[in-house]
Amino acid sequence: MSTVSMAANQAKQDEFNPFKSMAKGFDTAADHLGLDDGLREVLRLPERELKVSLPVMMDNGSTRVFEGYRVQHNFLRGPCKGGIRFDPHVNIDEVRALAAWMTWKCSVVNIPFGGGKGGVICDPRTMSQGELERLTRRYTAAIMDILGPDRDVPAPDMNTGEQTMAWIMDTYSMHVRRTTTAIVTGKPLNIGGSRGRREATGRGVMISANEALKMIGMRPEDTRVVVQGSGNVGGIGALLLHREGYKIVSLSDMYGTVYNDAGLDVPAVLAHLNESGRLEGYDECEHLPNAGQLELDCDLLVPAATENQITSENADRIKARLIVEGANGPCTAIASEILTDRGVVIVPDILANAGGVTVSYFEWVQDRMGYFWTEEIVNSRLEQIMVEAFQEVAETARKYDVPMRTAAYILAIDRVASVYKLRGVFA
Amino acid sequence: MSIQDSTTSLQPGELPATPPLDDETPFATMMASFDVAARRLGLGPTEYLILRKSDREIAVSVPVSLDDGSFDVFDGYRIQHNAGLGPFLGPLRMSADLRIDELRALAAWMTWKCAVLNVPFGGAAGGIRMDRASHSPDELERTVRRYTASLLADVGPERDVFCPDLQADEQVMSWIMDTISRHARHTENPAVTGKPIELAGTVGSEIAVARGLRAVLRLTAAHLGLPRKGLSIIIQGAGTVGGNLARLMHAEGHKIVGLSDVNVALFHPDGLDVPALLEHNQKHLTLKGAEGTYEELDPKDFITSPCDVLVPCAVANAVHSNNAERITTKLILEGAHGPVSVRADRILDDRGIPVVPDILANGGGVVLSYFEWVQNRTGLYWIADVVEKRQSRFLREAWDAVRKVQDEHDVSLRMAANMLAVQRVAEADHARGVYA
Repeated sequence: MSTVSMAANQAKQDEFNPFKSMAKGFDTAADHLGLDDGLREVLRLPERELKVSLPVMMDNGSTRVFEGYRVQHNFLRGPCKGGIRFDPHVNIDEVRALAAWMTWKCSVVNIPFGGGKGGVICDPRTMSQGELERLTRRYTAAIMDILGPDRDVPAPDMNTGEQTMAWIMDTYSMHVRRTTTAIVTGKPLNIGGSRGRREATGRGVMISANEALKMIGMRPEDTRVVVQGSGNVGGIGALLLHREGYKIVSLSDMYGTVYNDAGLDVPAVLAHLNESGRLEGYDECEHLPNAGQLELDCDLLVPAATENQITSENADRIKARLIVEGANGPCTAIASEILTDRGVVIVPDILANAGGVTVSYFEWVQDRMGYFWTEEIVNSRLEQIMVEAFQEVAETARKYDVPMRTAAYILAIDRVASVYKLRGVFA
Repeated sequence: MSIQDSTTSLQPGELPATPPLDDETPFATMMASFDVAARRLGLGPTEYLILRKSDREIAVSVPVSLDDGSFDVFDGYRIQHNAGLGPFLGPLRMSADLRIDELRALAAWMTWKCAVLNVPFGGAAGGIRMDRASHSPDELERTVRRYTASLLADVGPERDVFCPDLQADEQVMSWIMDTISRHARHTENPAVTGKPIELAGTVGSEIAVARGLRAVLRLTAAHLGLPRKGLSIIIQGAGTVGGNLARLMHAEGHKIVGLSDVNVALFHPDGLDVPALLEHNQKHLTLKGAEGTYEELDPKDFITSPCDVLVPCAVANAVHSNNAERITTKLILEGAHGPVSVRADRILDDRGIPVVPDILANGGGVVLSYFEWVQNRTGLYWIADVVEKRQSRFLREAWDAVRKVQDEHDVSLRMAANMLAVQRVAEADHARGVYA
């Protein structure tokens, strides 16, 4: 392989590494803020990393030892908050990066948490429910010394869900000899979960879109929307946007894309999806391959599936004026630059999809007081927080004359840095 | 030094034995209908097994110095039934013929009740085997404090919360709170509910059960198509529950045609002058001799007198197999604990008279206990309006949930409430899984 193509290959790998993108975002923001080297170092490194070995009795009588991590990036603004993922690809670098990401996300929406992340290297698809339960309980017990409602509050992530959170809550509660619902968020409703949590990320996307529209002077009725994805974020986001009067022209799932130039009947599409498990077979639309979905003619594009969807390869062909990042890292750094140069407004992931962590915060608050809000109250408080965060990011973008992504990092880092200055270096 | 026993007389030098965990019937009786509910829900024996037993049963000996210089040792218990939905919550009883099986039944009952009302607690019940009346306030205080101290490892705001019962009043609750706080070295208001208002209690406690009954009566009347005003109502009992309910319903434009206490039963088909009767009751601690137009009925005839709504708020088994056939009402609302006997329930069901079960109807009290705990945890106290509004929301949501089960399974309100309770607790237990 020639040196030139190796370099090109490396550049491509870098473009597709979302953590490199994040590191770049961090450095750019730190430059704008004029942070000194010491502070940069403090904010870049995790406060604490824990690696644990987890022996688990498997159903066939054998014992397997899994490897798990919990990284606490920063707890200056409050207890650490962040998901736990069960996946064969979990590695410490990724967990570290995701923990830092949580610090910035919590800071952007100004909820009183630092960032954390955990993971266990395992393949849940090959494990029984009993094996998963034993793994979860052992992992909880192993990291318990650094967990707590005022220390570190986990949440669901890749391949973990309500059931996993219920096991964590039960294990912790049994160990401390008292009911401790606030130890973890994303629990089922009947053991301290919050109303409105399942829709929270989609709702946050909707609120971000509304604010962005106001900013660029458009109205929902005149806005054609393409949503990549149709799950918890994309599907619910599309439904809520549809209710607000937006015209959703396209949705997609893993297998294909649906398109209707006149606007999809989103509730009907989702009902079909719910019944048959895929979009295929829904009648009132055209069916297209996924390849060109993002390039369809629209005003608002909501990539709500996975990372690296809008890249240096297709950024030129994107027709939307506005992108609201429902997924984490759907636009690469290079693509973001290309789009920004063309005048496309991007509402970045750490703001746009922060509805989920915000309602996690509400769940923790409700658990601490033991009183649970109605769905209307959850939704209106979510709106209050998201709107305020959006306006602060927009204001920062104007002040520093930067795109919203950089502005979000500037705002987030500045908040953590100023707390650091106030609290000082301990000991 | 003499050693006395509170229940049996002993020979000098003979020590009272730790009583055996008796195997009596209240628990089995109470659970029987929940067993049916579990079967109807299709719960397998393994899923239901855990609900048939207490999570934890604690027995403690409570030595107490008596005023005459001697001391006595009382038996104390705390039964914790199921922690699936949250910390335990339950009353404290003091009586000389306390039975552990009765506490088991009461603890499980609290689990079901909290589940129906959707308050995040499991059920508990405690007791001290002593005759409260034969002891001085000082002796009582020392007993309660020592009992509390013996249970310290297992009680507290996130472990097990005390609420009052007939013999354990505000004063007793305050001693428990003080003892737990002294040991914890900080104020532990939420360890106990039913505290006096000046000691971190909540507004609306006193009237909580009556308000809950009113809320449920409104919902039931609307459901059955009964008028919103002008219903003729018989209320058995004129105390905190019955008396307050009479006042509330009278003020709402209904006719209280019958009101009774232990001494007397008053009846007038056009409605009684409730404010005057209650004023008399407050002064003289009985309705007997109150001025006004009414007829004094034999208590036996009283409960079978014609009315639209009958609300027994006094004693268990007020409606039994001997009078259930003669009950002439369109609706019964259980204000007391278990005022309709099991056999009477079947008769009324056959006759098509709906009974709103106690577990739902008198749940206003447990909702207020929960609100007090929440306010103590946050340190922020709600104004009366907020308490009232939130209380009626909880009762409305419980009513709606029970009605939904009733429609789905075509059962009585009582069975629907029992099924809802079992379902909610079983779901929580299932989500949490079996630890270790």
